[in-house]
Amino acid sequence: MKTNLNLYLAAAIAMCFTSVTAQAQVASCPNPIGIGLSTPLTSGVALLGIQAKLGLEDAVEQINAAGGIGGKKIKLSIEDATGSSTTALNTLNRLLEDKPVAVFSSMISPHIFTQNDTIKKAAIPVLIAGTNGQLMKQKNPWLTRIHVHDGQLAEAVPHYVVDTLKKQRPAILTVSDDYGLGASKALQAVFDKLKVKPVAVESYGLNDKDMTAQLTKIKNANADMLVLWGRPGDVALVMKQRKALGMTVPVIGNSSAVALTTLANLTAQEADGGMGIGGLFPQVTSDANSLAFAKRVLDRSKIPADNFALGYRDGMYLLKGAIEKVGCDPVKLRDELHAIKNFKGLLISYTADKDGDLAHTMGIYRNKGKVTELIGTVKEPGF
Amino acid sequence: MIQLVINGLAMGAIYALIALGLLQIFNAVRIVNFAQGQLLMLGAFAGFTTMTQFALPVWAAYLLSFAAMAIVGLIFMMVAYYPLRGKPFYLVILTTIAVGIVLENLVLIYFGPLPQSVPSPFGVDQLQFGSVAVSRHVLFIFAATAVLLLAQWWFMNRTRFGRMVRATSLDMEMARLVGIRVRYTVAVAFMFGAMLAGAAGLLVSPLFLADPTMGGALGLKAFVVSVIGGFGNLYGAVIAGLLLGVVETLAAGYISSDFRDVISFVLMVGFLFFRPQGLFGEKQSERV
Repeated sequence: MKTNLNLYLAAAIAMCFTSVTAQAQVASCPNPIGIGLSTPLTSGVALLGIQAKLGLEDAVEQINAAGGIGGKKIKLSIEDATGSSTTALNTLNRLLEDKPVAVFSSMISPHIFTQNDTIKKAAIPVLIAGTNGQLMKQKNPWLTRIHVHDGQLAEAVPHYVVDTLKKQRPAILTVSDDYGLGASKALQAVFDKLKVKPVAVESYGLNDKDMTAQLTKIKNANADMLVLWGRPGDVALVMKQRKALGMTVPVIGNSSAVALTTLANLTAQEADGGMGIGGLFPQVTSDANSLAFAKRVLDRSKIPADNFALGYRDGMYLLKGAIEKVGCDPVKLRDELHAIKNFKGLLISYTADKDGDLAHTMGIYRNKGKVTELIGTVKEPGF
Repeated sequence: MIQLVINGLAMGAIYALIALGLLQIFNAVRIVNFAQGQLLMLGAFAGFTTMTQFALPVWAAYLLSFAAMAIVGLIFMMVAYYPLRGKPFYLVILTTIAVGIVLENLVLIYFGPLPQSVPSPFGVDQLQFGSVAVSRHVLFIFAATAVLLLAQWWFMNRTRFGRMVRATSLDMEMARLVGIRVRYTVAVAFMFGAMLAGAAGLLVSPLFLADPTMGGALGLKAFVVSVIGGFGNLYGAVIAGLLLGVVETLAAGYISSDFRDVISFVLMVGFLFFRPQGLFGEKQSERV
């Protein structure tokens, strides 16, 4: 009993000390603490961009309701970057006029490539979820990535196809933009290392509606696995058209193949058997906090939260932790973000690598009818 | 090869359907409505609202959607055409583009960015002919395109109202002098044009989902089809639509999918240069 009492006392003292330290550090911060978000809320990529808004809004609401950061409330400013990189640059400039402590940018990699020089000049921490493997190789010390990237996924998917599923005749079908074509090249390179040659490599335009020509080629090539890489909207179309063509080739892809936003538009027959590897979904878990987060987002927006919503939510808590530790000095804050080790997010732990990538855990999912099941996780080697 | 041709014909029938709506308006006021794709998108969302949200039976959902699209057509005419009648035609065209952008963003704000599925009256099953698969819904699209083409032909050529529309398009002032209620005629033409776009939206959404941004690319393809077929010519639009669908799909299948759109627009430019009246049209494409 006495030991327990001592433990409680020690914990209480530690909490008080942490709180006092946090308040002391946060004294250097403006009140309210300004945070910006540049993300597409309109255009063809709005489906992705809105997830950043949903995740961040929930985190800010929860943090502010619990007293803010060291007693100071967070003020979140959101700008619509649309699908255009030029607009994304303008929105970043508008956000910077308010002198925010940090900015979240989008998951659309070309936006961040365009914003790169402005971010360097602004010299404040920018948290991103763009999945292009090269984003963090730009030698921009102000970037921190809070989501798994294509390099990790493109390594994991072919290994899973060849080593676990024992497939030898994969076909690759990707959206033909920076995101999809980058992934296609990386997938081919890893298949090549595994000494497996894809029987077909195809792509479709971001706004294409008819992918039957590509699917027919894949069908004729007698593929035993379709590796599908795209966004939820177009991936749903491919899965529908695959069924309409009577194709039974199994599908594996990025998380779009199993995302709730994809499944919402498929019948059980169209969705069944699809597999995906990617960031984790907040509602496919038994974790009560994650389920509560997913429910709040759904109640608020009628949109199911996905891996990006979770990433941005975790990103806000990462930032909060860093501010509490070192305050709002941009250099200290950046260095703290780049030194994060085993930070517990809702479903994964975040550890910074030398490039500023924090996420290294991916979920492997499978559709059973219209229900997504988590069948395992895979970690980047070394984490 | 046969599978690719069938896929191409399905896509072509969809292009033709959208072009029919475009031509309905063009044949009345000689203006290209660049918001036709967005009207199609509204039709798709009307189907989503009536079939999925209101859970109405298909016949009721289709009827309600057509009625809604007729009202949209009327409002569209009053906003995008009527205030600018008599002004240079490019002003009206620019206004249709602007209204299309407004419509797209209004739907995005109201329905959100998630694509929405719209059920087909024929489900998701397909018929198998050897190695060739054709979905029941695609067969429905072929049939609907044929029926709508015949209905539109009958309307324009065999009804008094159709003759009034044609007279109005030839010379609005003369039509007014001979007692045609031009404003009424134009309004009904816009309503029919929007209803045809709505029909196309209802038919394509089970295949392509209802998506706020779906109209832009499809509307442009309808324009290409109209140029190739000959602006104003209904049969030309259908034949050009089917032809374009097949050419695009074969190009994607045998060359590369990257060339799909390139081929469409190169074909259109080629026609504008060397045969501006299109395959079956009169010499009037220069106005476009």
